[in-house]
Amino acid sequence: MGSKQTVFTHEQLEAYQDCTFFTRKEIMRLFYRYQDLAPQLVPLDYTSCPDVKVPYELIGSMPELKDNPFRQRIAQVFSDDGDGHMTLDNFLDMFSVMSEMAPRDLKAYYAFKIYDFNNDDYICAWDLEQTVTKLTRGELSAEEVTLVCEKVLDEADGDQDGRLSLEDFQNMILRAPDFLSTFHIRI
Amino acid sequence: MSAYYKNNRSEEDQGYHDYSESEDYPDFPAPLNNPDDPRTRRNPYSAGSRVSPDYPVSLAEPDYPGSLSNPDHPSTMNHPFSATSRISPDYRRSVAEPDYIELQRNPYHPSSSRQPDSSQFQQNPDVAYSRSSGNHADSRTNPDYFGSLPEPDYPGTQSNSNHPGSRTNSTHSGSRRSIEYAGSRINPYTDSLGEPDYPGAKNQHNSSHFWGEPDYPGAKDYQNSPDIWGEPDYPDAENGHDYGSSEAPEMTRGVLSRTSSVQSMFHHRIDGPLVIHRRENEDYPENIEMTSMEMTDSYGHSLPGAPRKGYVNPAYVGESSPVCAFENLMLSECDWHKSPEGQKLIASLIPMTSRDRIKAIRNQPRTMEEKRNLRRIVDKEKSKQSNRILKLNCCTQCLHSISRAYQRSKNSLSEFLNTISLWQKTLKIIGGKFGTSVLSYFNFLRWLLKFNIFSFIVNFSFIVIPQLTVAEENTLQFTGLEFLTGAGYFRDTVMYYGFYTNSTIQHGSSGASYNMQLAYIFTVGISLVICFFSLLFSMAKYFRNNFINPHIYSRGIAKLIFCWDFTVTHEKAVKLKQKNLSTEIRFLKTHSNPGAVLLLPFVVSCINLVVPRFYSMFRLVERYEMPRHEVYIILIRNIFLKISIIGILCYYWLNIVALSGEECWETLIGQEIYRLLLMDFVFSLADSFLGEFLRRIIGMQFITSLGLQEFDIARNVLELIYAQTLVWIGIFFCPLLPFIQMITLFIMFYAKNISLMMNFQPPSKAWRASQMMTVFILLLFFPSFTGVLFTLAITIWRIITYLYWQITEGRKIMIRLLHEQIINEGKDKMFLIEKLVKLQDTEKKVNPSSLVLERSEVEQQGPLHLGECDAAPGLRFRQSVQEDNSRA
Repeated sequence: MGSKQTVFTHEQLEAYQDCTFFTRKEIMRLFYRYQDLAPQLVPLDYTSCPDVKVPYELIGSMPELKDNPFRQRIAQVFSDDGDGHMTLDNFLDMFSVMSEMAPRDLKAYYAFKIYDFNNDDYICAWDLEQTVTKLTRGELSAEEVTLVCEKVLDEADGDQDGRLSLEDFQNMILRAPDFLSTFHIRI
Repeated sequence: MSAYYKNNRSEEDQGYHDYSESEDYPDFPAPLNNPDDPRTRRNPYSAGSRVSPDYPVSLAEPDYPGSLSNPDHPSTMNHPFSATSRISPDYRRSVAEPDYIELQRNPYHPSSSRQPDSSQFQQNPDVAYSRSSGNHADSRTNPDYFGSLPEPDYPGTQSNSNHPGSRTNSTHSGSRRSIEYAGSRINPYTDSLGEPDYPGAKNQHNSSHFWGEPDYPGAKDYQNSPDIWGEPDYPDAENGHDYGSSEAPEMTRGVLSRTSSVQSMFHHRIDGPLVIHRRENEDYPENIEMTSMEMTDSYGHSLPGAPRKGYVNPAYVGESSPVCAFENLMLSECDWHKSPEGQKLIASLIPMTSRDRIKAIRNQPRTMEEKRNLRRIVDKEKSKQSNRILKLNCCTQCLHSISRAYQRSKNSLSEFLNTISLWQKTLKIIGGKFGTSVLSYFNFLRWLLKFNIFSFIVNFSFIVIPQLTVAEENTLQFTGLEFLTGAGYFRDTVMYYGFYTNSTIQHGSSGASYNMQLAYIFTVGISLVICFFSLLFSMAKYFRNNFINPHIYSRGIAKLIFCWDFTVTHEKAVKLKQKNLSTEIRFLKTHSNPGAVLLLPFVVSCINLVVPRFYSMFRLVERYEMPRHEVYIILIRNIFLKISIIGILCYYWLNIVALSGEECWETLIGQEIYRLLLMDFVFSLADSFLGEFLRRIIGMQFITSLGLQEFDIARNVLELIYAQTLVWIGIFFCPLLPFIQMITLFIMFYAKNISLMMNFQPPSKAWRASQMMTVFILLLFFPSFTGVLFTLAITIWRIITYLYWQITEGRKIMIRLLHEQIINEGKDKMFLIEKLVKLQDTEKKVNPSSLVLERSEVEQQGPLHLGECDAAPGLRFRQSVQEDNSRA
């Protein structure tokens, strides 16, 4: 308890608990993980809400993210500026959404953002190409990739506008029962 | 596009020559003006508002730059705002356009994929306009960017020194803004809370309520104004987002993006890559991948509240409107709450219980800061409310504190439960290496373990411990073999039922008594009941999560793509998974696999093949006197099997396929039945020729004691009945099924005949054939045929009701159309009469002499006209009612 008090005030911790899917203990654990990423950067006292960002390079080197093909997108989506540099809030947000407890809608919303590479609020063919390339490590030929993208659009594009809106995406996610368990990073 | 440029030029001509020339950027000047003009500033999002007819008009106004002081300016400013909020499609389009521009700039961008966008906005004049601003923004961006590299404070001077000097209205706008800010500050939401309903993004009328000012965007202006640049220029949420959290180390970059994106998001989108590219190279040269990615990704967290079409979850309402985009400037995290959406959300959160509220806040797709503010505001409101209303009522306060304490204790409980969650690390490693599929097995195992732990604890504490207190000495020998046999020494321990006493345990004369018998029953019973319910609930939960609507499962590729397993963290596993995925994708690409539909008939036929044989084997155990009994028993067993199979199939067809909204589900069912029938036939054939033949070989050659087999009448009859049932069911869906059955029966007859001749020996027992035939027919009639009739009845009923429903729907539409027609005709009449009256008036003026002649006509028309006038409000009223209905 003593160490907790020095890092966060009681109110801070309570706010974090209410805003994330974590317990007090998990929040502390996440904080220490965060702090470990850049011990010289992140202070051990957060009571005054210091404005600290851990650069993406360190975030991306976490074992949980290091080999994830979408690590960069994840970091970008959850960072304030879209540059992947994360404050503690961003960090907690990220793992909260990726936690087991987060509901499907919330996960789908952020998954959509992650797959929407150009941030135009639609997953268009180009976004899909990026996704497929990342997923397959560029093993597929260009034609194959385009074909796959066409197929995906064919399958999931409800309103036939040639790109996936958030709604399309959610509908598709509903049909993929694996999504809830796979869009999950254990910490 | 050219129009817009012209517009800019004209502005420039009106008085900013000096500025542009002094800067010596020939292409620059027009854009440079824009930042300072609040109206142009709004151009990017007014892309949406351009739907409204008068906005372009206001754009074309010659006194454009001066419009700030124009009294009607607030309204024009409001206009785009409200328009966008209402007409989101257009807004979205305008948002989508930057991609096109980006496409032009970005070599990574495959142009083909963007083609629809581009064509779209070339057709659409509105969009063309916004595109022009994009380009124009772009033209500005680069000079800015390069220019500012050598002199980082260039943009600052540009905006601060030049503009105010050259223009009074920019300062004017600034001062106005601060006033608005003050206003908005005073009544951030308390006023709005007093309002019964939260109006949402519907119109500016409401927003003016909120702010007590007609100029809604003013609040937004404020958000920008504290910014060091003092520029009112970060119109869209995207940019705002960036500024919001910009800090000192990133200042130069911030400056760049700020000044360059002064005008619109298009800017930002374009210079983003450049900026970040540079930054990345400077700061983290080793990260090359990132830079290439950043070309597109740098816009990052943009458009946090961008319009989302049809996003259903009410929790995300805030996201669904562009209003949010305006309000969502990061500079003022708290300001999101002031937007109508935020207000709405807050209002909806206040009456919730604290548990629901926390849940709702958690589920908001917002940043931590926003969530925290939301929570703070709602809490404050809540306490305020309770203070106001329930000040005197200490009882409720007491309740409140109790609920708080409960909340806290629950939190700590869940914390405690979390600490005992087993194998967290191991599971993580397993998941990291093998993915979720393998992990699910371990999860299940862990889940079962928890069950057992629970049962053990309950049993141990309520049965074992009391028993141990009165345990007698164990006299049996312990050899070690007991570990294997479980007997011997263990017999007289708490292991087994027999050891427990059936008396009441009482220590001392005054101690509490403990009835062991009751305890035993209740403990076991209760632990079973609890297990049952928790099983039920977890099953329900899993079903809810995973099988929301199983009949719409996509077997497709989209699932493969978007369900990347984020749990996998092991490098090798990731690589393997990627490799697997690419092969799988290749496979899917080449094989659409039409044969997959044969799976169901195959499985059904397999069951039909295996299970009856299994039943027949019971014969070896159960020895019946009468062969008839034996056959009947087997018949009954098999009939249950077939009934259940057909029942399940019928249920599936009628309740899942029929309701899945397919084009023609009857055909689908017909196909299914056809496949089942055919598969059954194939299996019977194979069984006759292969199975029975093999059995003969085995019986004759290898295990001679088995001998030849006897013909299994029950099984074969039931096969026939099964096939016939299928035909009857399917006759409705596939009228030619009897024909197919005819052929198969024909073939089957010969096949069975040959097989019988070759493979079987005559029955060793006597049969009463006539009775058996009756039973067969009875069987055929009772479960099979009545079942079929029942199924068909349901089907037909469903179709008929559907027809009726269609008819009523059609009539409803008809009625509506007639209604509309009546209204329109009324309008037409009104219009004609007005015209007529006007015509008469003018004629009277022109030709007063004809007045006498026409007076009689007018008098004739008069009453009619009046009547129409009376009728008109009624019609209008009805129309409005109708509109309300349709909206509702």
